[in-house]
Amino acid sequence: MVTEKRGEYLLRLSLTIDPAEIGVFYPFLMQGFQVVVRVGCSIRELLCDQFGIDNEYVLGRITTVFQNGKAIDDLDAAIVRDGTRLTLSAAMPGLVGATMRRGGFYAAMRGSITHKETGESGLSGGGTITMKLFNLLLPELGPDFLKVGIGVAAADLADFFAKRPSTFWRGCRQLLLDGKPVEPERLMGGEAFFGEGTVWLSVTCWKEDKEPARN
Amino acid sequence: MDKIARIDMGAAGGPKVTVGPVGEYAGLGGRALTSLLIAKEVHPLCHALGAENKLVIAPGMLSGTTGSMTGRLSVGCKSPLTGTIKESNAGGQAAQVLARLGYAAVVLEGKPEGDDLYKIFINKDGIQVIVDNSLKLLDNYPVIEKLRGEYGDKVAYMSIGTAGERKLLAASIACTDPELRPTRHCGRGGVGAVMGAKRVKAIILDDAGMKMRPPVDPDKYRDANRKFVEGLRKHPVTGEGLPAYGTNVLTNVLNEAGGYPAYNFKGGQFPGSEKLSGEAQAQLEIDRGGTATHGCHRGCVIQCSGIYNDKDGHYLTKQPEYETVWSHGGHCGIDDLDTVAMLDFMDDNIGVDTIEMGVAIGVAMDAGIIEFGDREGAIRLMKEVQQGTPLGRVLGSGAAVTGKVFGVERVPVVKDQALPAYDPRAIQGIGVTYATTTQGADHTAGYAIATNILKVGGDVDPLKTEGQIELSRNLQIATAAIDSTGMCLFIAFAIMDQPETFQALLDMLGSFHGITMTGDDVVALGKKVLSAERDFNTRAGFTRHHDRLPRFFYNEPIAPHNQTFMMKDEELDEVFNW
Repeated sequence: MVTEKRGEYLLRLSLTIDPAEIGVFYPFLMQGFQVVVRVGCSIRELLCDQFGIDNEYVLGRITTVFQNGKAIDDLDAAIVRDGTRLTLSAAMPGLVGATMRRGGFYAAMRGSITHKETGESGLSGGGTITMKLFNLLLPELGPDFLKVGIGVAAADLADFFAKRPSTFWRGCRQLLLDGKPVEPERLMGGEAFFGEGTVWLSVTCWKEDKEPARN
Repeated sequence: MDKIARIDMGAAGGPKVTVGPVGEYAGLGGRALTSLLIAKEVHPLCHALGAENKLVIAPGMLSGTTGSMTGRLSVGCKSPLTGTIKESNAGGQAAQVLARLGYAAVVLEGKPEGDDLYKIFINKDGIQVIVDNSLKLLDNYPVIEKLRGEYGDKVAYMSIGTAGERKLLAASIACTDPELRPTRHCGRGGVGAVMGAKRVKAIILDDAGMKMRPPVDPDKYRDANRKFVEGLRKHPVTGEGLPAYGTNVLTNVLNEAGGYPAYNFKGGQFPGSEKLSGEAQAQLEIDRGGTATHGCHRGCVIQCSGIYNDKDGHYLTKQPEYETVWSHGGHCGIDDLDTVAMLDFMDDNIGVDTIEMGVAIGVAMDAGIIEFGDREGAIRLMKEVQQGTPLGRVLGSGAAVTGKVFGVERVPVVKDQALPAYDPRAIQGIGVTYATTTQGADHTAGYAIATNILKVGGDVDPLKTEGQIELSRNLQIATAAIDSTGMCLFIAFAIMDQPETFQALLDMLGSFHGITMTGDDVVALGKKVLSAERDFNTRAGFTRHHDRLPRFFYNEPIAPHNQTFMMKDEELDEVFNW
């Protein structure tokens, strides 16, 4: 996966946190985050080849997929384009859950909002897409996306840090802004992102790194 | 379950109890029993709140056994909300206890003179109907608290709140959960108003001294139940998704699909949806010391409910379900879970259907009574319902009445029952069910997603849009059958995807009754139930012209997909041609 927008400078924030706190970042993954990818490929190629998600997991677990709000039945046919919004979910309950299922028995019931591929692959090369992860996929895929990095709105990030309790900051072992240590107060006050549109956020859990010392 | 108790509330000299053999209703349970009895015994043109109507309370075919997921209770009558036949079901403990007491049904008949309020106590020794005017105008939580002082904690309770006593058309009947909270409701269609019209405030079910219902073939039944439970536990929906997030896990997906009706069906997406999502709700419940995983009755292995605590960590309500979070949330432009949870508690306490109530408030917002998004205003309106003010009585009579009183054109109802949380312009197939079901707009009328394995009506190509009529028909048939078993509808995911789990269900039914049960038998049962319901509705004056969605679904495209409901009338008329 490409990790930054092509030709565009992004402020990069890297956090090393208490693993117990990883869930507080999941709302970013639900609301939508940006990733930079090679576009012009199929959704399956994006998920398996670029993101490195196991094909069996994709087929068996990611049973509900939307592209730009339309339900996807064929992961190989649907093409990822620059600006695509791609939403991934595990199996959903209810008739509507079954209806939204990829290639499911009740797909006809949402025929009017089913994605129909035009066949034109669009431009290939780098592009930025918006992704959303829902439900069981949050704990299963979320930490990897966060580790590699996601683009989030600076204003949302400032609001997020302003609401973090002291226990969150005590669990942080490393805070780096563009590779340099940054004090929590600058993140909590939002001045670290002032004037930025998007921030490239990467989050690592310290147990994976054997608890590195803070800064 | 070899007997039926009939309680004539209007008998001369006071209520009279008659217990007789189950007779022609032998082998039936749940919706099959309630609907066949109502269709045969109730005059279809009667006033739903009059003496001619009957309220049938029936456990499912497997309720009261050691089988898992068998705790649904059906309540049937002529609906005061829709004027159609009605079956409304709920979880909780009542079905299991009533079945162990041996009753295939308890039927409330007649209507007493005077102002007395009654409670009904049922145990192994018989049935007592007792005047208890101390329960007057108490809501469900205080009613149960008071009754617990008298009857203790080893019973199951059914009750109505003040909405039922006032005969409001959205009134529900509450069933207590394992913790004896009145959180499980036969919600739809105003069944609580019918109980209120018969002046019955509460039913106390005590199965002390009774045993589990014994299967004809215990070994086979035990083996089938084990396989059935294994199937539920290994399926990602019933074994993981529902226990982790509950039904509200649908909020994010429906919103993404543009099928989440917001601001009284003016849009298909709600900006605050992620704040209302099941993911956010589950995390909040856990953070506050509640739980996101809880069963509504003993023997449930899916555990799709939860406990929602307030900011101070005190119990507020059970985990609000998706449809409740939608009706009080996005439908009303409210994006705050605490407000939704408070409204859910008030619904349960007052005793009203959460869908009908939330939709009615949204319609009132459209009329300008309060603004969309007004959290305190929504709670204030619910207090009006609780107090029985004129405005509260209008709102508590549902969305259709509210729309008429305030001159609102966009009123999302079919046969005067409010649409649930799925916009039929985005998901056309569910609109077919909303329009044509015998029950008024009801997502659960076509919910049993096991039609592929049941082979109801043959195979349908899932990728052809013209199959939607067949799909809705088949779903309604399968649902009518499962509603009769007493099984929770959520088992459908596992039996749809796992043939061995479906076979285990058939084996449970077969080994319990000592018969061989096939998919064809299940289909035949579903058709029999639907035919009886359709016949009742026809005699009650309903025609194909009532099997339609409100016109705004045909005329107003909904964003983001800018779709209208496109099914033709003549196609809708084909749903029940089998």
